Amino acid sequence: MPIEKSDLLQGTLDMLILKIVALGPIHGYGISLRIRQISREVLQVQQGSLYPALHRLEKRGWLAADWGESESGRQAKFYKLSVKGRKHLLSEESNWRRLSGAVGQILQTAE
Amino acid sequence: MSWRKSHFARAPREDQLDSELRLHIEGLTAENIAAGMSPEEARRQAMLAFGGREQIKEDLRDVYRIGILETTLANLRSAFRFFRKSPSFSLAIVFTLALGIGANSAVFSAIDAILLRPLPFPNGDQLMQLEETYPQIAMPSTFVAPVRLEEWNRMNSTFQAISGYYVENGSETSGALPERITRAWVAPRFLQVWGISPALGRDFSSAESSFGGPLAILISDRLWRRRFGADPNAIGRTLRVDGASFPIIGILPASFFFADRDVDVWAVVPANAPYTQNRAATWYAAIGRLKPGVTLNDARANLAAVQSQLGAAYPETDARLAVGILPLKEITVSGSRKSLWILYGAVSVLLLIACTNIVTLLLARASRRQQEIAVRFSLGAPRFALVAQLVTEVFVLALAGAVLGLFFAKAASGIFRALAADLPRVDEIHLDSRIVLYSLFSSVVVTLLCGIIPTLRGTRRNLAASLSHNSRTQVSGRHFLQWLLVGVQVALAVTLLAGAGLLFRSFQALGRVSPGFDSSHILTFHLSASWAETADPKVLSKRIAHTVDSLAALPGVESVATAGNLPGVPAKFQTEVQLPDAPFDPTQKIVTESRFVSPTYFATMRILLFEGEPCREGSGSTFQAVVNRTFANTYLPSSPAVGHHVLLAGDLFKMGASPITAIVGDARETGINHQPVPTIYFCSSAPVPDPNYLVRTRAEPMAMAETIRRHLHEIEPARSAFNFLSLDDHLSNAFAENRLRTILLAFFASTAIALAGVGLYGTLSYSVTTRRREVALRLALGADRNRIVQHFLLRALSVCAAGCVAGFLLAIASSRLLATMLYGVSPSDATTFAAVFAAVLIFAILASLAPAIRAAQVEPMQVLREE
Repeated sequence: MPIEKSDLLQGTLDMLILKIVALGPIHGYGISLRIRQISREVLQVQQGSLYPALHRLEKRGWLAADWGESESGRQAKFYKLSVKGRKHLLSEESNWRRLSGAVGQILQTAE
Repeated sequence: MSWRKSHFARAPREDQLDSELRLHIEGLTAENIAAGMSPEEARRQAMLAFGGREQIKEDLRDVYRIGILETTLANLRSAFRFFRKSPSFSLAIVFTLALGIGANSAVFSAIDAILLRPLPFPNGDQLMQLEETYPQIAMPSTFVAPVRLEEWNRMNSTFQAISGYYVENGSETSGALPERITRAWVAPRFLQVWGISPALGRDFSSAESSFGGPLAILISDRLWRRRFGADPNAIGRTLRVDGASFPIIGILPASFFFADRDVDVWAVVPANAPYTQNRAATWYAAIGRLKPGVTLNDARANLAAVQSQLGAAYPETDARLAVGILPLKEITVSGSRKSLWILYGAVSVLLLIACTNIVTLLLARASRRQQEIAVRFSLGAPRFALVAQLVTEVFVLALAGAVLGLFFAKAASGIFRALAADLPRVDEIHLDSRIVLYSLFSSVVVTLLCGIIPTLRGTRRNLAASLSHNSRTQVSGRHFLQWLLVGVQVALAVTLLAGAGLLFRSFQALGRVSPGFDSSHILTFHLSASWAETADPKVLSKRIAHTVDSLAALPGVESVATAGNLPGVPAKFQTEVQLPDAPFDPTQKIVTESRFVSPTYFATMRILLFEGEPCREGSGSTFQAVVNRTFANTYLPSSPAVGHHVLLAGDLFKMGASPITAIVGDARETGINHQPVPTIYFCSSAPVPDPNYLVRTRAEPMAMAETIRRHLHEIEPARSAFNFLSLDDHLSNAFAENRLRTILLAFFASTAIALAGVGLYGTLSYSVTTRRREVALRLALGADRNRIVQHFLLRALSVCAAGCVAGFLLAIASSRLLATMLYGVSPSDATTFAAVFAAVLIFAILASLAPAIRAAQVEPMQVLREE
């Protein structure tokens, strides 16, 4: 069963977006495709959440955006990671690892 | 982030956003086609999956908000969208607020015009009234002698000018019939003190202001229009007043109505005339204009110094005198201050109830909007943004209410002016920019009052999150806050009801009072006369005695009397007297009310004679006296009062000792609502040239008015008779403000209880709706339907009863405000409270019966299946 956005931990969506953008410039539709593919359809990101998140990250200066041509030859907005965003992603990733590690530890010990 | 910087963080252009979103939809469509759908179907599905494009753009606002103008505009847009979606809800709120703000603004406009604004003269706050006072003896302050007025004016250093006036009724005889004319005699510098100049023509010249100079007169705008058809050539024409011809030199502006609204002409009294040199002849109501920057205390100290110099120079007449100074505005409006603030309090409570009602409505709505709010939160909208949006919605409603309320206020202040024609300055009540500003201000206050609680509650994160999923299945809460608010409404309404009830009961009690005189079948009027007649008191009293006797001989007339004051119409003249031949502690002051009446007064007013002989008309300046029983019991308890003499303290008017000829019953001379006080009647029909005439008629008094008027024209062709009114009407007019206050308060109170009823109905309905499942479950488990009705009724009634108790406590706590206006009831009158309690209970049952019955009519199976 796909997990919808509302069940995602607050802030998790931001980290996923940053991670995907870190792979190279990409437009909004591409990001939603990528999240679905990589998570093997487990994570569904509602467009209603994706775009506000993208714009919020851009406004914070973690993402930069350029207009370029899409695969289909249309004008598209490509997002890429800024230096600030990369730093933020690194710290978020390490936080996440610590957290999930800790949770995993507890789950194992409690079994 | 600072506001300034954020202003440049602009949102992406609309078309850029569009193309970004379009690309996404195209991508989804392509996926669907690849999955084997037809192109149309693929596109439709893609759009569905994508969700509302507009919604997304809307949500992006949360990301790019903070530009204060844009945010506000966006909030306004969303507010209007919301109203379109629920028009009846919005209309209900707007209408309630319009009534609340309208009534509030209307009363405020009266307070603003009457109490807050300076008098309508240039620098009106510099205008003062001056009086002669007697600080050492209990004597009312008196008018000012012309010669003393001139000395004050010359010797002080704090006033720009001091002047004075007195008013008398004369007859103007240049027309076919004598016309009553109200003339103000003024001291020099009169217009200078007011700071106005004639609309046409000129002020008195210095020649006209000195003795032996040419006569001159200023006329009112009203007389100018009535007599001369507003002809500018009226200047230079003459008016014949009481036998002398006065050339008209100027016309005063229409807005000038001092000393009172009735004054038709103003004539100047020369300061150097021989008849103005008597230091004991006190004529003028004195007015002065302070110099800029001078305070009231400076002026008081300055005039006290001036008067003590005069006291040294004229010890016999001036040593005991002092100068009383009060702002003219204070004297004009102080009588209405309390009533107006009480009314204002009442309408403010009404507005508060309206707000409370709206809070209840908004709370109910907020719980329905929790889904929407939860979504916005999870999109990362800051709480502040949501609060701002919700508050904007309330503000737009409040603003609409205020605008509509201004129309209500306009109508209401028209009604108020008509009802309260006797209030001072009532023609100055206007709806102007200040009132508009006030209404806007009220709408902001209302927004804060109504908006904050529901908004803060509605945007609590954890609540939003939990209820977004579970609102339909949870057994709902008990709506504690809503019920509390209903209780508050009831309490406030009960406070108003109790106040109105107490005033009403006072009115009833007044109607039952036996005043000690018989006011029915008494016709009263005035006959024009000049103060110059007081120069020869013997001729004056003979003239008045002749009129009295001649009227008494008319068929249909039982008896006729004159009196300086009308009995029972509130007025006081407290004087200090001495009883020279009574064994009395000389240090104790004997303070008594004093009245001047004709000897026929007691028979005409049917005041009982207990002891002694009725008095006879005084001759010269010595009068016989009659005292009432309270006077005799208070001051002469051990010896028979008849035969004693009374002397005004210090013998101020050189009246000498008056023998007491009789003791009469207590009459409520100073007002029906005042207990009788020790009173002395001096027997003189002519204390003033135009006393009140009191005619006891056999039939309806006003029916005799025409006969009497015609008869007076025969015996006194040069005088005009006016102000024909029955004594009962005078008494009723004297309580007009009282009655107005009672009516308005009753009106506000009934509106308040109606609003509280609506609030109760709304809250109970809401509670019933949200607890349908619970009720259905109970019914399914075999609960009795009557028990369900009982349960809901009991809930509503217990909240109302608690509200009543709180309301009574509030009413008792605030009864100090009403205390002076009550008569014959205690501020915690049990009958009133019981009646209010019964009324509220009946109202509560009416308001809650329908929702409670509806609750019990739930079909359990149907409801349980719905879920």
